Amino acid sequence: MMSTARRVAVVTVLLVLALALPATAEPDVTTDVGTMSKESAAMAFPPKPLYSPYAGRDFPTRPFFGDTHLHTSFSMDAGAFGARLGPRDAYRFARGEQVMASSGQPVKLSRPLDFLVVADHSDNMGFFPDLFAGKPEVLADPSGRRWYDMIQAGKGGEAALEIIVAFSHDKFPPALMYLPGSRAYKGAWQETIAAAEAFNDPGRFTAFIGYEWTSNTGGNNLHRNVIFRDNGDKAAQVEPFTVYPPMGSDNPRQLWKWMTAYEEKTGGSVLAIAHNGNLSNGTMFPMIESFTGKPVDRAYVEGRAKWERLYEATQTKGDGETHPFLSPNDEFADFQRWDKGNLDGSVAKKNEMLQYEYLRSALLNGLRLGKDLGTNPYKFGLVGSSDAHTGLSALEEDNFFGKVTPGEPSPERLRNIFVKNPQTGITIMDWEVCASGYAGVWANENTRASLWDAMQRKETYSTTGPRMVVRFFAGFDFDARDAQDRMPARVGYARGVPMGGDLKGAPAGKVPTFLVAALKDPIGANLDRYQIVKGWLDAKGELHEKVYDVAWSGARKPDPKTGKVPPVGSTVDVKNATWTNSIGAPELIAVWKDPDFDPALRAFYYGRVIEIPTPRWTAYDAQRYGVEPLPGTTMTLTERAYTSPIWYTP
Amino acid sequence: MGSSGGRLRSLVREPLLHFLAIGAALFLYFHWSGGGSGPTSSRIVLTTGQMEHLVAGFEKTWQHPPDAAELKGLIDDWVREEIAVREAMAIGLDRDDTVVRRRLRQKLEFLVEDVAATAAPAEQELQAWLDAHADAFRSEPRLALRQVYLSWGRHGAQTEADARAILARLVAAGPGARIDTLGDRTTLPQEIDIAPRSDVVSTFGEDFVAAIEGLPPGVWSGPVESSYGLHLVLVRERVEGTPASLATVRPAVERELLDDRRARQLTAMYEVVLGKYTIVVEKRVVAPAAVAAGQGGP
Repeated sequence: MMSTARRVAVVTVLLVLALALPATAEPDVTTDVGTMSKESAAMAFPPKPLYSPYAGRDFPTRPFFGDTHLHTSFSMDAGAFGARLGPRDAYRFARGEQVMASSGQPVKLSRPLDFLVVADHSDNMGFFPDLFAGKPEVLADPSGRRWYDMIQAGKGGEAALEIIVAFSHDKFPPALMYLPGSRAYKGAWQETIAAAEAFNDPGRFTAFIGYEWTSNTGGNNLHRNVIFRDNGDKAAQVEPFTVYPPMGSDNPRQLWKWMTAYEEKTGGSVLAIAHNGNLSNGTMFPMIESFTGKPVDRAYVEGRAKWERLYEATQTKGDGETHPFLSPNDEFADFQRWDKGNLDGSVAKKNEMLQYEYLRSALLNGLRLGKDLGTNPYKFGLVGSSDAHTGLSALEEDNFFGKVTPGEPSPERLRNIFVKNPQTGITIMDWEVCASGYAGVWANENTRASLWDAMQRKETYSTTGPRMVVRFFAGFDFDARDAQDRMPARVGYARGVPMGGDLKGAPAGKVPTFLVAALKDPIGANLDRYQIVKGWLDAKGELHEKVYDVAWSGARKPDPKTGKVPPVGSTVDVKNATWTNSIGAPELIAVWKDPDFDPALRAFYYGRVIEIPTPRWTAYDAQRYGVEPLPGTTMTLTERAYTSPIWYTP
Repeated sequence: MGSSGGRLRSLVREPLLHFLAIGAALFLYFHWSGGGSGPTSSRIVLTTGQMEHLVAGFEKTWQHPPDAAELKGLIDDWVREEIAVREAMAIGLDRDDTVVRRRLRQKLEFLVEDVAATAAPAEQELQAWLDAHADAFRSEPRLALRQVYLSWGRHGAQTEADARAILARLVAAGPGARIDTLGDRTTLPQEIDIAPRSDVVSTFGEDFVAAIEGLPPGVWSGPVESSYGLHLVLVRERVEGTPASLATVRPAVERELLDDRRARQLTAMYEVVLGKYTIVVEKRVVAPAAVAAGQGGP
């Protein structure tokens, strides 16, 4: 496999470096994407390029875009709200075909996605084991025998018609229910697997097998999506883990146990992606476990770090990067905010919950836990996904088919209520639902194995919808010339680690340098700026965060006092739902050096790319339906991407 | 009304209903299997077969058989569930319940669709399908190209003139011209080895690809505009899509054929069964004022 080859290449490079050096006291731990160590950095090895710049290239050259979190009619709640599209329709739509939405409107994506995970809720999928299938009674029954023979003889169509007629005259033999292969007595899980197998097209379109484990006790969202690297032969050996006892549990530790059992039994691989900390009321990224009231312990941090490789940073129910209360100096922090309460609005939000809900504060708290317990539980990579319950991963602002079927396009949706809790009075309007997001994955090829491996090593990023191409490399030796290279990725992989990786032990006098690049979506808006968000744990044990502008469009000058680049402006015409690319830049590339680096302190860095302002889906609705939005409706937005972090450990 | 949405929403979360949905399915099983401990009986019997069912479910979840305590937990829960299902059905809680109804509909439709899919399509059926839908299975056109990029941001009003100057040098150097120092740096690929058209579109955009498809192969041309800037382009090769043979696209043909058969079978089923019923739709009473409908989201 390509991905294996790449890993081998990385490991080989590290081995060569290690061999070329006298042994030193500090051993390197090679994780995930490789580690930039004191030794390897001190080498500052001069890459001797091949004459052909394209030869020997064995790294991901383009990101694959997809959705790791889509529900279909197989999710009981989606079905109850009128979703009619099942997994097959969902895969069809994602690969670029036009389908009929549950609301009876034709819909098609602007361009195909590269992959999709149908992640229906595991509870209520229904479990009916194979022992009900293939009963000999089928053949004992005269009609059953006749139909069975017809089917065997290739006359399935005729048999079906006869069977249907028998149906309508109450002559249907119950034994036929047990026809081999019948799904009526299997669960939706088997059909979910069958649909993924039918649409998985290695190299062209990847249909992952997955499900959502929907832990929701007290209305606090602790949901996780589980994604299989494997094909149906392995996935069908298990039933998805559920929440309700006695078979299931609402505690993530039990989910990790299930994942362990799956891998041990089948030799397969699974990973989990949590989402919507913003609706967990302080329980998504705990320092104190909500299940026990005790501080998280070694077993928790190790389990979490091992199984929860990624976090879903943005989706239809709000953005999860950070909150203005947590990041008062970040002028882009107040974005697609859902902070009124927990998932069902049964308990209102309090400020003290916030730091355990958002990914930036979790990354910060993770530094502290990593120092205290030896493992950082919140060392996750980032993706965006939809959580749509429509079977439609349709998240473009001008082509948004809502979060639930009643939220598919209609003149009413600008004014409807999404959720209202009569006890607390918490109300969220449909206009607050976000047309967001997708996952960008730097994989070598479009296959289950290659994409999954990239997710596992966190070489991923999150976008709120647009398909921008975002690179983020860190090392100790990038300099300004590297930003002039025609193939920054070649330099990036050769002398640094990509998003999701680690820097360890800075060599004396060296500071982390970052090679960053972003290319706008070919049919999207220009870019305003590329920022690096840094978080660190100081010597006194206090946590800090800072946002740096590292590349921006035009000739704007950073404010001499704050260092911040002034706003890019806006070309949005809300009334007509249009904008122009007359501001911003199609591409941003830079090398940045951390000006405030202390080699003794733990830190993380991630990239944030901000687009120029564009019309939000609400503006398209108002324009197309001629509907007056409710007062206070947000009509524009700055779409963005968040890369997986790179961590520095002394 | 918002509150009705809220109610529905809280019902969906009601564990009792989850049991009911499963219970309704179990009811059907008991009904059809003709068991002597049906819902109207006061006897609750956990048969060996049902026990196996519980154990199989546990094993498939946990990848090991239940120990004594776990088995007791399963049985106790099953008994509770059975009682709950019987009592709930006795007072009619299964009726007019959206979740129970949708689940039953789903199972019936699965059953009918399965009958359609049980027989593997014959060879000539597949070939006929492929012939009738040849365009859908045609391989994509493929493109190989080289490009030199000029950014409006760097060249401003001179962009087009600068592009023409570079074009002259490229034309002079020919198709093998060294381009890694020409034009502006970009993360867009300068060379695309032969790639499906859709891949090139996902990188450069549809307008750009449509424009270069008209260019003569093997010659430096342009400037061609994309949403990034201007490009001087050499189309090295363009391979037309070709009709697919059954051998290369068999799984996809089979999938399409079976999906179509499923859909037709389902329609046929409803048409046939419809004859059994007289449908009466009562006249709608329209409320005087339209009120924003509440939904409540998962």
